[in-house]
Amino acid sequence: MRTTLAADRARLTETPARAAIVLDGVSLTRRTQQELQYDLKRSMFRLISGRIARVQRRTVLQNVSLRVEHGEKVGIIGPNGSGKSTLLKVIAGILTPTRGTVDVDGTIAPLIELGVGFDLDLSLFDNILYYGVLLGHSEDLVRAHADEILDFAELREYREEPTKTLSSGMAARLSFAIATEFRPDLLLVDEVLSVGDERFRRKCAARIDRFWDEQSTIMLVSHDMLTVARTCDRVIWLDCGELRFDGPSQRAAELYLSTIPSVANFRRGEDLVKLAETNPRGEVLVRGTSGHPQLYLVRDGCRHPIASVEWCLLHDYSDTDLVLIDDEVIMQVAEGETLR
Amino acid sequence: MSAVLDTRRTGTTIWSHRQFELVRMSAIRQLKARYRGTALGVLWSFANPLMMTALYTVLFGTAFASYYGGSTHRYLFSVFVGVVVVTLFLQATGEAIVTVVANGGLLNKIALDPETFPLAAIMANAFQQLVTTFPVILVLAAVVTHDPLRVVLVPFVLAAVVALCAGFGIALSALYVFFRDLSYLWGIIGFIFWMTSPVFYPAALVPAGVRPLLSVNPIGLGIAALREVTLGKGPIDLGVVGMFLLISAVALVAGHLIFRSLRRDFMDLL
Repeated sequence: MRTTLAADRARLTETPARAAIVLDGVSLTRRTQQELQYDLKRSMFRLISGRIARVQRRTVLQNVSLRVEHGEKVGIIGPNGSGKSTLLKVIAGILTPTRGTVDVDGTIAPLIELGVGFDLDLSLFDNILYYGVLLGHSEDLVRAHADEILDFAELREYREEPTKTLSSGMAARLSFAIATEFRPDLLLVDEVLSVGDERFRRKCAARIDRFWDEQSTIMLVSHDMLTVARTCDRVIWLDCGELRFDGPSQRAAELYLSTIPSVANFRRGEDLVKLAETNPRGEVLVRGTSGHPQLYLVRDGCRHPIASVEWCLLHDYSDTDLVLIDDEVIMQVAEGETLR
Repeated sequence: MSAVLDTRRTGTTIWSHRQFELVRMSAIRQLKARYRGTALGVLWSFANPLMMTALYTVLFGTAFASYYGGSTHRYLFSVFVGVVVVTLFLQATGEAIVTVVANGGLLNKIALDPETFPLAAIMANAFQQLVTTFPVILVLAAVVTHDPLRVVLVPFVLAAVVALCAGFGIALSALYVFFRDLSYLWGIIGFIFWMTSPVFYPAALVPAGVRPLLSVNPIGLGIAALREVTLGKGPIDLGVVGMFLLISAVALVAGHLIFRSLRRDFMDLL
């Protein structure tokens, strides 16, 4: 059962003195990928010819300050490259801010996202053990939980198999199960709900909902404003590494949608209203606002069903040129062109 | 403008309990992955030094015996000690060099000290030797020298060899993040280290003018120190042993400092 807004608010008023997350004036600059000197040989030539490449740095987060209380559910939105995932990594302690301070109270689950660094030659059991210890739990505790993790992932019969025998969907299930088994105080979720098949997605969503109902503090990154608005009370909106908005999700949704360059409503019959968004890179997202119309992506003359709008973005289908909804061509968009 | 660093990570010392657990688990993972499905398991780390020792002894044993008091046995022991040190060094550093980059995915998911991974590679290799060749060397020292002081010093010299591997391995793994062709270069440097260490030839064979150059090679020094405590005759030469202990400690500290000074930019390149 999802807690009501009122209950959440009531809980917020009695929070302890130390907040779950406090960022104070956090800025982060990172080396740009173009200037990577992957190569000793090339660096030597540069040095000899007197052209010492200066390392280029790019600002990813700029003076971000925020305070998240215990038990708050916060959504982070913003266009691609706005620093959403980076913000999560700073909170998780994976990246150290160039300036400013980060204070986190409580244990943190790993970033839940697609693709995990499992050791493919080890058995599932050994990978669970290893991963659990990396997360900071004692070996004994992880041992005690290993079977529960396998049960949740529905992979019990693979316990002693090498992890390379798993399909990518199975591996994603395992990673989700490990990450959420040890009740973290702080859950950082990066586009999680695209794990596995439809049935398992619902199971994941149910588990996340349980965290939602409990005291866990949750930060959810999503491209999908509608999901965020539905599930979070508060929304942080990042734009080019800067905090553009921080407040109630309803207000954020209105602001966010009003700035998207082209929002077109398509009418086909009475009930099917489509909302299409394009971003500056020419990506096209189409979603139905009523029910669950099937989404397809057409490439090279073949039709691929799309699990979700997030999936499309995650897999970087930036050169999508045709999108079908309900088996019928709704729009055709060339790269760089906007919908009108 | 003052940078305030995250206390959760700068506050931890390298040998905190958690850090130790991480290195241990990571080393176990490597050993498990390496010996999965093998019949002899860890005993394979015996095969390499034994086979090389046998080969060198068959090829050069009689020719060089005169440098070893006319004893082919002494030549064999001497080669074995040298081969153990040099193969441990090359294998451990060769595995450690790629570890930070190879674990980039994990480092992007969980807040971890990246030094865990090169250390684990060194520890995994050290463990292999600990259950195979190191006891043999200790027994060798007892049987050949009958000198309690030498036998007591053997574990210290072996620990220093591991420390030397760790110093190089840690520094190399950090540099490899920036220069991905370093592993090829290290292969060449490793071969130079191998050839300039008097493993299978007596040091006396090298022209006197070139010999000082050989002493620059830290592995050569390690081999000399280990031979002194396992095969030495007469009063022990503590100079060579002490020198090696000192140099390996310096290498370990220097490797650690190089790693720390470079790690700020790691995450941007992984």
